[in-house]
Amino acid sequence: MTNRSNALARLTAAAAVLAIATPAAAIPAFARKYGTSCLTCHTIYPKLNPFGEAFRRNGYRFPGVDSDYIKADQIALGQDAYKKSFPNSVWPDEIPAAVPLSIGFNGQALVSPAKNSSFGRASNGAIFSLQNLVQEGHIWAGAALDDTTTVWGEITFANDGTIDVEHAQLLFSDLIGPKHAVNVVVGRGFPTLTQYGPHSSYIGDQLVTTVPVTGIYQGNPDPWTLVDNYDGLEVNGVVAGRLDYSLGVNAGKTLPGQTFATDNFYGHVGYKLGGLRLDGEGATGMPDPLHPWAEDALGVFAFGYQSNSRFAGVGGGVQNDVANVFGLGARGQLGSAELNVGWYAERHDHGTADYAPVTAQVYYAELSYVLYPWMVPVLRVEGSSLHPEGGPTVEDLHVMPGVAFAIRPNVKLVTVFNFERASGFPAGAGGAAQAWQGGASAWGPMQIAPGATSNPSEFDGISIFLAFAM
Amino acid sequence: MSTRTSLRSLAAAALALSGSVALAAGGTITGKVESTPAKFLAETVVYLEKAPPTGGAQSHAMDQRNMTFEPHLLVIQAGDSVKFLNHDSVVHNVYSPDNEGYNLGAFKQNEERSYTFSSAGSYTQLCSIHPEMLGFIFVAPSRHAAAVDKAGGFTLRDVPPGTYKLAIWNSHLKAPAKDVTVTAGGTATVNFSIKR
Repeated sequence: MTNRSNALARLTAAAAVLAIATPAAAIPAFARKYGTSCLTCHTIYPKLNPFGEAFRRNGYRFPGVDSDYIKADQIALGQDAYKKSFPNSVWPDEIPAAVPLSIGFNGQALVSPAKNSSFGRASNGAIFSLQNLVQEGHIWAGAALDDTTTVWGEITFANDGTIDVEHAQLLFSDLIGPKHAVNVVVGRGFPTLTQYGPHSSYIGDQLVTTVPVTGIYQGNPDPWTLVDNYDGLEVNGVVAGRLDYSLGVNAGKTLPGQTFATDNFYGHVGYKLGGLRLDGEGATGMPDPLHPWAEDALGVFAFGYQSNSRFAGVGGGVQNDVANVFGLGARGQLGSAELNVGWYAERHDHGTADYAPVTAQVYYAELSYVLYPWMVPVLRVEGSSLHPEGGPTVEDLHVMPGVAFAIRPNVKLVTVFNFERASGFPAGAGGAAQAWQGGASAWGPMQIAPGATSNPSEFDGISIFLAFAM
Repeated sequence: MSTRTSLRSLAAAALALSGSVALAAGGTITGKVESTPAKFLAETVVYLEKAPPTGGAQSHAMDQRNMTFEPHLLVIQAGDSVKFLNHDSVVHNVYSPDNEGYNLGAFKQNEERSYTFSSAGSYTQLCSIHPEMLGFIFVAPSRHAAAVDKAGGFTLRDVPPGTYKLAIWNSHLKAPAKDVTVTAGGTATVNFSIKR
């Protein structure tokens, strides 16, 4: 195998790994539970409308009394009246009469007009790459055990045979104080770092751009990244309908063979002006019932995160990498137009293979307009700047115009054009470019950066993403 | 017409007349209940508040059959008793944590237990062996009480003329009581809208 072939193989493998890591959302089990359309909560899934965001914040519960809205048959594992005789009886709950599962599939086709572009190299020069058109299968579960307890989970099957439990959470809501003020989430899932759902993007998989710093610099072999699904415990809530917060601790990534304990802490606080309350309570209707997604509102949030990773050092013993992150973000919405912006700084004290400090600055912006309920033109920009101590600065910028289509409420097609500019990328041991494992869109943007020796600007290609769920 | 036939006709006429007099002595309250959400409508009772007991104590039955309480909602008057039956092949219990509370123990197929409800109020009916089972016994102050039908309709007959508070009970929802005036032989219509 030549060096060039080696590089291509590595790039392709990296792309595949990233695709496997792609989280997904949208859960028709909730549509069955309430006997309602996906469009009650989503515009083009998994993007949530204001009501859907409130539903998510409330622990996947309707405002008011959740059970009032449940239309699916439930089986009581104990009637409510048993609460009166607690602790002489088990606290009652219920389960859905039908298993609350749903399934979905997603994948992408890549079009690479230029054979030497990132997409072209990853596809061995093929212009049309369809081998990942169906890349993942998902099983989702979502159910209420009672008016304050929800379970939700997701298992993903990738086309390389891997199976991943991406989510498995118990959500206990309204524990103390006013309704929605104190909730606890236990299990595996995304840490709540923003005011919005982690998948609040029309063309990216995640709202917040992720840059796995230690992965790029081959530092920690068990890399923690800002946005990923981890085992943990989180307290969150909405106070007075306008202020939201979260505080959590999680274990970070734990790969086989990496048995060292890690402890990561995070939190966020946000505030929303105008529009639907964050908890969805007291709604009197939207300005235009034909545009239920539309509102005039401004939401702002700030978050902090500290990761303490421990891993096997090169020379033996236990090495550690402490990452501190601080970020800001905002969403402004004016009718059907929406602008999301965010920035964060992430500093690792032992982020490179030589355990040198690295600082990353990352930003994103996404402007969208719901032209029709089924068609949303979008412009997304993601950028990052990495500063390793004693090393060259790495810059990367992606500009992604695209259009998201809801072919049906539960079938979507997204087309994204990927333009990229990158410089200073670290080379691998053989001198080839390292795979770029960042970005919010595993099917294209920031997936594979131009090599260190290639043209720093390019048209990566076109990614066509297809997803359906039922 | 024979003498016997004449007497028979006379007796029938007298009986009909007495019935008319009895009906004329009371009035009827009818109406409809709208429930939000609709799924709790079946657990609704409309009754006269503070009405004096009507007639003597009676005995009613609530069965346990196919792991359910039948009927799901039983309306009785304070002082009445209920015989709890078990027609399942499994052992059941009769238990309520409401008001004074009661626990009638475990009883096997074809056994029965009885309980007398001395106080008005609603009693959640449970089986502690099968926590999913649920029924309700609503103990009204008088016999002027009725569970609503599937469409939410109700009718209280033979209500003595007067002005009353017409109240409504639901397992999850509520609405304020309403004043109603009943006239002899008349029909008063009262509608309710119950919600959280």
